[in-house]
Amino acid sequence: MALVEIRNLSKQFSKGDEVIRPLREVDLDIHEGDFVSLMGPSGTGKSTLLNLISGIDKPDQGTVTVDDVEVTSLSRSQLADWRAANLGYIFQTHNLIPVLTTYENVELPILLLPLAKRERQQRVELALEAVGLSDRADHYPRQLSGGQEQRVGIARAIVAHPKVVVADEPTGSLDNKTSEQVQVLLQRLNQELNITMIMVTHDSEAAQIATRQLQLDEGKIRELSSDERATAQQVST
Amino acid sequence: MFRFAPYVFKGLWRHRARTMLTVSGAAVAIFVFCFVVSIQEGLDRLTSNEDAQRTLIVFQENRFCPTSSRLPEDYARQIEDIPGVKDVMPVQVWTNNCRASLDIIVFNGSPPEKLRNARDLTLVSGDWGEFESQRDSAIVGRKVAARRGISQGESFSIGDITVQVAGVFSSPIPSEENLIHTNLEFLQYRRGADAAGVVTQHEVHLTADADPDVVATAIDEKLKSGPVATTTRRKGAFQASTLSDLLDLIEFAHWLGYACVGLVLSLVATTTLMSVQDRIKEHAVLQTLGVRPARIFRLVIAESGLLCLFGGLMGTSLALAILGWGSLAVGAEGVTIAFRPSLQLALMGTIVSASVGLLAGLVPATQAARTQIVNALSQP
Repeated sequence: MALVEIRNLSKQFSKGDEVIRPLREVDLDIHEGDFVSLMGPSGTGKSTLLNLISGIDKPDQGTVTVDDVEVTSLSRSQLADWRAANLGYIFQTHNLIPVLTTYENVELPILLLPLAKRERQQRVELALEAVGLSDRADHYPRQLSGGQEQRVGIARAIVAHPKVVVADEPTGSLDNKTSEQVQVLLQRLNQELNITMIMVTHDSEAAQIATRQLQLDEGKIRELSSDERATAQQVST
Repeated sequence: MFRFAPYVFKGLWRHRARTMLTVSGAAVAIFVFCFVVSIQEGLDRLTSNEDAQRTLIVFQENRFCPTSSRLPEDYARQIEDIPGVKDVMPVQVWTNNCRASLDIIVFNGSPPEKLRNARDLTLVSGDWGEFESQRDSAIVGRKVAARRGISQGESFSIGDITVQVAGVFSSPIPSEENLIHTNLEFLQYRRGADAAGVVTQHEVHLTADADPDVVATAIDEKLKSGPVATTTRRKGAFQASTLSDLLDLIEFAHWLGYACVGLVLSLVATTTLMSVQDRIKEHAVLQTLGVRPARIFRLVIAESGLLCLFGGLMGTSLALAILGWGSLAVGAEGVTIAFRPSLQLALMGTIVSASVGLLAGLVPATQAARTQIVNALSQP
């Protein structure tokens, strides 16, 4: 049984007179522990698919089921509760709350869970340790580098022990060296903590760290074969 | 909700200048509101206390300023014969200003032994013996003493009146503390008064079972055939009538008070709305992390409520402090309204500011809670 089941998922937008259909009757299964990268040209609906899996957008047709919960049928409040307990979201632009410290930013999602202060503290400390930022707990986002900010964003995404972590171009705003560090971190979290990850990326090199590579084009999803992956790897190196 | 307290407080501190300006604006407006309410409270205390309801004032018919009312002193004996009357105290009133003033000085001349029985006065300094034995002595209300810097043992002069201060008194009726009591004869026989045997008014104290209105009618009926016709009213009604010009102003000031509350509402709502519009993306991020729209609503309401409450507490505290230390009173035609700090005023200032804060947050909070996550996240 797949952890994430996407069935017959469609989404369309109107842009003036033009109707854009980024997703057309998409079917997809993602299993627990998978690290899925989702690639494709700009405007092909990668982020839209991620938003639908996260429940922050509604499809025109089809269903998304995560761990037996049909996300697409939940209300806004139910979705918020579901996200708090089951989903971690890593943004391209980090989106940390500027007035909160690193510690407070990471603690934010678990403030919503019924956890005692002591347990919250332990979880935040573990999450910061996992991303190597234990010594930056009292820093504010403005006092961190871009890479450090993204690592705080990753700690925030994993602190609630979610079933799925989605990442929308997590290395998109970083330089090459920092981007590599973040990729290594994501890979390690997937392998060591068995966190299921779905990552949208433009970067074919970043996509290589995933265990499954998906291509989204003209509204349809296609999984790259091992030959295609090998070719893509040669091109990126 | 308290788990998010650091987010709320730090959010308010994010735009310090804007927050401070809003808080100070709210403070000034609530300060004015409290002042207006204190005037109303003073008027209510003056006209509705038990003394004001159970005491009658006999005044010359169709006269308003104390200087123009001249009643024979021996009316007291005629009034005492009317059923329901316990005691009558003749009072000669002198004031430095018949018009509305913030620093009105009012002398009440009456027989000291009657005054002692009729009024609930407590000497905070001095003694009654000296007051009763010396014709030019006076006891001074605590508030007027503080306002004019008068203390026991000094002499106090105003116009052509000079009295020796035998003591300073307090009273449970705040307006009483703005009076100076002296001997009736002293005021009647002062230079140029031409008031021998004449008083400004008679203060009539009733028996427990007497109906004030019935007794008032009986007094006017009995004295109708005398040399001077009278108008007798309950003390509260008499004071309200005497202050009728001021009442219009107080009524108008009431609207100013409401306008101040409206000003706070508009100010805090604008600030909160600006703050919400600055943070559309941030609210979308919070929702993405799992914060319910209803909680976002409450967070914004908490921000506006705190903004207003901080300002309101500052304004209320300032108003209470000035009312407490300032010994302020407004008076006209020998009657004064005392402004006093009170627990009721403190509660009203606090409750009004908190309520306005919650109300001011409604529109911004609704806007924040309805943030469309995907659209907001795509903002730069």
